[in-house]
Amino acid sequence: MPKLTIDDKEVEIRDGATVLDAARAAGIFVPALCYHPAVASYGACRLCLVEVKQGNRTRIVTSCCYNVRDGLVVSTTSDKVVKARRGVMELLLARAPESEPLKEMAQLLDVKAGRLPTVTQSQRDCILCGLCVNVCREIIGASAISFVNRGVNRIVAAPFLQPSEACVGCGACAAVCPVGTIKLRWHADEVEISPFKTRVKILKCSECGAAIGSVPMLDRVRKKVGEPLAASTLLCDSCKRKRTAGINARLARSSRY
Amino acid sequence: MIGATERLLNSPADLARLREEAAARNKPTGTVISLCRGGGCEVKGSGRLFAALQGAVEELRAAGKDVQLKRIGCHGFCEIGPILVIHPGNILYCNVQEADVPEIVRETILGGRAIERLLYADPDTGKTLATSREIPFYRRQVRFVLRYNGFIDPTSIDDYIALGGYAALAKALTEMTPEQIIREVETSGLRGRGGGGFPTGRKWRTCREAYGDIRYVICNGDEGDPGAFMDRSVMEDVPHSVIEGMIIGAFAIGSHQGFIYVRNEYPLAVVRLRQAIEDARRYGLLGEDILGSGFSFDLRINRGGGAFVCGESTALMASLEGKPGEPRAKYVHTVEVGLHGRPTTLNNVETWANVPYIITNGANAFASVGTEGSKGTKVFSLVGKITNTGLVEVPMGMSLREIVCDIGGGVPGGRKLKAVQTGGPSGGCIPESLLDTPVDFDALTKLGSMMGSGGLIVMDEDTCMVGVARYFLDFLVKESCGKCTACREGVAQALHVLNRICAGKGRPDDVELLLELCDLLEVAALCGLGNTACNPIRSTIRYFRKEYDEHILDHHCPAHECRGLYKFEIISEKCKGCGLCRKECPEKIITGERKQPHVIEAAKCTRCGKCYEVCPFSAVAKV
Repeated sequence: MPKLTIDDKEVEIRDGATVLDAARAAGIFVPALCYHPAVASYGACRLCLVEVKQGNRTRIVTSCCYNVRDGLVVSTTSDKVVKARRGVMELLLARAPESEPLKEMAQLLDVKAGRLPTVTQSQRDCILCGLCVNVCREIIGASAISFVNRGVNRIVAAPFLQPSEACVGCGACAAVCPVGTIKLRWHADEVEISPFKTRVKILKCSECGAAIGSVPMLDRVRKKVGEPLAASTLLCDSCKRKRTAGINARLARSSRY
Repeated sequence: MIGATERLLNSPADLARLREEAAARNKPTGTVISLCRGGGCEVKGSGRLFAALQGAVEELRAAGKDVQLKRIGCHGFCEIGPILVIHPGNILYCNVQEADVPEIVRETILGGRAIERLLYADPDTGKTLATSREIPFYRRQVRFVLRYNGFIDPTSIDDYIALGGYAALAKALTEMTPEQIIREVETSGLRGRGGGGFPTGRKWRTCREAYGDIRYVICNGDEGDPGAFMDRSVMEDVPHSVIEGMIIGAFAIGSHQGFIYVRNEYPLAVVRLRQAIEDARRYGLLGEDILGSGFSFDLRINRGGGAFVCGESTALMASLEGKPGEPRAKYVHTVEVGLHGRPTTLNNVETWANVPYIITNGANAFASVGTEGSKGTKVFSLVGKITNTGLVEVPMGMSLREIVCDIGGGVPGGRKLKAVQTGGPSGGCIPESLLDTPVDFDALTKLGSMMGSGGLIVMDEDTCMVGVARYFLDFLVKESCGKCTACREGVAQALHVLNRICAGKGRPDDVELLLELCDLLEVAALCGLGNTACNPIRSTIRYFRKEYDEHILDHHCPAHECRGLYKFEIISEKCKGCGLCRKECPEKIITGERKQPHVIEAAKCTRCGKCYEVCPFSAVAKV
């Protein structure tokens, strides 16, 4: 296992891990917005910059893409790193000045908004980190959304900016969104994935009528399992618990310990 | 792919025999008219001229004359195109039009006399020069890559072979081991001509030694810098030199599949390369068991989709894989993990085209030209405010001043040279005072510019340097892929500041803000496009800080380019009082009697420039 030093702390971590993995394993804070352990590193947000030193050479790298090497010396707090990280944060804040999670992180990095104007807002509150796109493709396998356009005009959307037929309404994109831009809006029979305009039918609990999840997603699960789902999957969590509790109670009564 | 039995060449001896035959065939007996059909001449009507000449040649032949008409690739001197060369005598005619054909037939072909008015006249002495060898534009050049330009028909593989083409390949395959080839390229000191200047031999060696059984070679023909057309000319006019270089490289590295990535805006390059590849396959120079050596290699052309960033190696490979052309972090180099995760060698068009020369003439012949750190030659495209627009190949170490003033003929119209921009959007501006710097990878980098792929934009005193920085940043904003925050947001922010300065609304600390954004881009951007986006800004601030200050503090553009940052005045000595400006002025603030000098009421002028445009006597001046 490679051994490296991060901010004077010795860290030992498995081969193939990234510097960000190593830092987090050692309890060292490195901010990152486009990183999620579930998907491959993308290296887009540029917040996780650290300074690495090997031999006499130092360079600034994104820790989410840089694999650990034995003897690597990493600094997450050098002047250069802090300056670059703050600069990146300032740019992000100029792009999405209203995002609450972003503002919180900016505060953590001691960055104040206001110096740079908003000049590139192609999609409200979105920092184009790509997590939603990558999770939809890599984990869900739906590829319902992707990047559209180039450069400052880039946005995340479904093809032709229309509601997507490929979307299974799983909500993974909303779950990974680091700035709270993607939201699930619940309607009577449908869930809407905002801002992609996609609406998907929801499955309701056969007992109480509460929303459980989206119909296409459960269909997907059914297809993967290869057999009809048990009746209990059509129940909401609390009804499921009630039913299990009832069965257990009956069992307990009948067995008479 | 054609089977081994159908192809023409099965051994180096076959190639040598074919060369002799082709050379004998090409040996001119009567008159040979060679017309340039390169991009520049084509635009100036060499297509129509070719048709007219064809008619004339047919008539001459019917009359029993031995006359041939040849289509030739770019000569380089695009400014004087269409270029026509007539053998015997190698008489070079410039700016030839269709109307000149009868006279050329009568005087030169039948009469054997040169037509004075079609010859190139030396701008210094006014003397007419008959052949290209005498023309100063050509006299100072040293041509390795472009050595066949102007001599061969780009669509003829026989022409290429007749002049010694594919001899390097035969030598490499039969007389050299891959190790020897790599050592030869290392010794030659060849560095990547795409801009970065990485030693080619070292790249090849790392790729050869990288883990894996499948390797790829790629030719980067995604030449996107504004004003650059060197690679285009090589691909269109001597496509076989690129192919030959790639086969040699593939043999050295141990690759069996190559790709040529050509930008979508170069359709002719695709046509020429496609034909060249087909011809090479037919001859047995591509495909299985090349020249009976047992080595197999094939090539494919891929067209880009119009994204500048695809010239970046990782974005290019992503694009080749069918993914969006976005770069990735290069902490693991592409020579180890490249296309489809395999070791990949990517070189620029010009780099590949240099390889046959090195193998044929030896590393020492190549290394004898150039400077300590930069060997060989470099092709530049001279554009902008320059007399001799065109393509030149000069030895490394020649000073920029020699290229611009001696070969390029300096700035036209008696204007003063102000700066030279090299390296495209990733490069910087070099002021006139530093033009004695030699062309050398390291020397140019030291000046805050870079060699780049070879676009050389010349600027005269009427060019606003803030405007130049703004132009390049605007280009980069449009071409940024948008993946990483630093480039997408940072370049846009910098452009916003530059727009503000050019509109006369700059703030006193704007230059510092720009420099701060530059620092950020350099360290935080993902790929070279973002990292080097700071160069146009930094270099203009470094050498032309005064212009920035004048824009910001005095609201004045010294080059009179930024609209609204200069005033209009009527020069009373020149004004004839015609009243045109008075009539056209939308604000009606120009006054004056007929035939008397007019006056602009400065306080009310909106600086729209209408009076300047309409004045027939150039009496309205920008101040």
